[in-house]
Amino acid sequence: MTIFHFFNCAILTFGPHAVYYSATPLSEYDTIGTSIKAAVVYLVTSLVKLVCLATFLKVSESESFDPYQELLKALIGFIDVAGLYFALTQLTHRNISQNHKFQAVGLGKCWAFADAVLHRLAPLWVGARGLEFTWEYVLQGLEANANLVLSISLAALGSLMWLRKNKPQTLIPIIYLFAGFVATMPSITSYLRLSLGWHFPEIVAFKLFASLGTAFISWQLFSACQRPSN
Amino acid sequence: MEKSRTSSSVLVEPVYSSVVALLIIVMACVELCDAVTVVDVYRLVQYDIGGVPFGSRLAALNHHAGSSFLSSSPAADLSRTVLILPVRELNLTFITEYIGQKKPLGGLLLLLPPIFSPQNIETEDGAAEYSAKDLLKEVLNELERLLVHANIPYPVYFGFEDEHVSTVLADIKKNDATGQPATATTGGYKLVVAAPEPRKIASPTIINIQGWLPGLRADGDSSQLPTIAVVASYDTFGAAPALSVGSDSNGSGVVALLEIARLFSMLYSNPKTRGRYNLLFALTSGGPYNYNGTHKWLRSLDQRVRETIDYAICLNTVASSGDDLWIHVSKPPENAYIKQIFEGFSTVSEELGIKVGLKHKKINISNSRVAWEHEQFSRLRVTAATLSKLSVAPDLLESTGGLSDNRHFTDEASISRSVKLVSESLARHIYGQEGKNIDIFADGSSLSVNPSYIRTWLRFLSTTPRVAPFLSKNDPLIMALKKELADHTVEVNVQQEVLDGMFTFYDSTSGKLHIYQVASVTFDLLLLLVLGSYLITLFSFLVITTRGLDDLISIFRRPTSRKAKTA
Repeated sequence: MTIFHFFNCAILTFGPHAVYYSATPLSEYDTIGTSIKAAVVYLVTSLVKLVCLATFLKVSESESFDPYQELLKALIGFIDVAGLYFALTQLTHRNISQNHKFQAVGLGKCWAFADAVLHRLAPLWVGARGLEFTWEYVLQGLEANANLVLSISLAALGSLMWLRKNKPQTLIPIIYLFAGFVATMPSITSYLRLSLGWHFPEIVAFKLFASLGTAFISWQLFSACQRPSN
Repeated sequence: MEKSRTSSSVLVEPVYSSVVALLIIVMACVELCDAVTVVDVYRLVQYDIGGVPFGSRLAALNHHAGSSFLSSSPAADLSRTVLILPVRELNLTFITEYIGQKKPLGGLLLLLPPIFSPQNIETEDGAAEYSAKDLLKEVLNELERLLVHANIPYPVYFGFEDEHVSTVLADIKKNDATGQPATATTGGYKLVVAAPEPRKIASPTIINIQGWLPGLRADGDSSQLPTIAVVASYDTFGAAPALSVGSDSNGSGVVALLEIARLFSMLYSNPKTRGRYNLLFALTSGGPYNYNGTHKWLRSLDQRVRETIDYAICLNTVASSGDDLWIHVSKPPENAYIKQIFEGFSTVSEELGIKVGLKHKKINISNSRVAWEHEQFSRLRVTAATLSKLSVAPDLLESTGGLSDNRHFTDEASISRSVKLVSESLARHIYGQEGKNIDIFADGSSLSVNPSYIRTWLRFLSTTPRVAPFLSKNDPLIMALKKELADHTVEVNVQQEVLDGMFTFYDSTSGKLHIYQVASVTFDLLLLLVLGSYLITLFSFLVITTRGLDDLISIFRRPTSRKAKTA
């Protein structure tokens, strides 16, 4: 609905990325190169996912939730995780700081930014400029925010899993559990949408709550792992 | 380090500029879409008579929607509002006053009942609704007369009531009931018709089609056979040119002419039953414009042929459901030829149970108004008469196939009766059987009038708008009429002429209406405020959690500390 609305939705979708970038000490490190590399890795991962989806999935005519299809989709979603692992282990500079957490946050942020740009910029540009008013683009912006937080949590958990050598034994299964939860988030949302019949606003609300929850828990885990090394 | 930086920047720049160029191209190609509803609408006619403008002078529409003249205070400014008015609930006095006093309005959208839609030609209306139908016909005629003779400086469109438009209208009425008309700051519905500026049609053409059926010439007879002409004008004019299908005026005349041609072609195909008269069938155009086409056609006819015309019968609006037909003449009824023609028709009509009356209207040579088609013949001293159900001569641009002239108001059985009347009278005259007890086109015989032929052609004409300036020489309608006449007659000629300069027409007769539901600007401003505060909160939260509260305060204190340092 006109350029003004487009501007509003764009701020909602991309503003938090800029805010994260400027608010945290990311800008003190030379992370432009890392950011671009992270975006490239995301692109490659998405392409691989698409190819696998096209090859292995058949188009379902019905709207129902097919467990086998969803299982396949979840498995393919783990390619996402593999890409993140690759990015974390190969791209971060080990010698820069002990504060791996900001590396992870930066990575997660770039991941989410690439995701937001690729998935949401085009529809936003085409749709939000029309005269017709819908809530859709505002909701999409909120979803992008939730995705951002989720990606950061996933990256943080990932860095915990693969980069830290000394972890308290009790926390390891919890870490893996939450990483798994976050990684299968797309499957969970499609399950909710198809079999429970939730509409877009409800799914976005669920995602927001889930992202806040996971962010809080991963923060706690991080600080818990930090304590022994202090 | 510096070299790498410059090299990387050199690489970045062409990439950057090409990306920007690509973005600009993408921006230019994106179209407006995503409306709540897209509806076909038809514009009010725009024309000039001798330079004086009439009709709706604008085509593009882009305003907020309103639902009645009384929505807010009477002095409200409706110049940026489009009013959506269903014709069924129309208050004629209000609209007459509005247009008469030239009050400003953003636009007008008149909604016709769905039965007038060309897609609903097959649906049958209940018999109990006849009185409502008549009332509606009256309202439509009044409305059409008002709109066609007014000069309206804003766009006027006709549409049909369908479910989408009805829900939108109900919504608008609800909003209007709260007392706030829709403007840019309060939200509501916006109606958009993207139409280019209407342009004059450069040389509007009128196309006449004639078919010639020669009579039996005895061997050794060198004199010319007499000719009888049957003429009907096929084009229409109405408030919405894209909806002017003119089922009765003059679709009925065209259908009757085609059926008469078919019957006589059957008779004339066998030399033993071929009469000693030539038959000339003509479908003329330019009927609403003082029968301009007939005038031009007659002047293009070879004079010798014209001199052999014994008499001409013009058919105009012959689907009378009330059993009353009139023969209009311009020569006085005492004239021998007129007497003969009228007696021939009366005899047949008595047998058929139809009442036929004779009406005489003198021609005023100095007046350019030609009310009946036979007057064009009379001006050239050819005996002619018009058969019509109308008892009074119509005014200019009246009874020319407007909004209310629809298939549902046209009775096809009466067309069959008129065909029988004309063909029987003509045949008795041709074969010299006047006064004898004979039924040439008897029902049930091979020469009977074919009702399904009439029904098919009437249906075709009732779904084809036929305003002459918008018909080109290769229009499917013209091709179809030409082919049909060629089937029934021996020689067909198509004559193309330019319409006389007194009438000028403008194009853009239909368009697509997009209805958008828009939110107000205040909503977006509020959203911006909320977003701004959200981002600031997020920023502060992150700074506090990662760097501590002191850092946050230091960001805001930095300018002052610098000043202190330099001082």
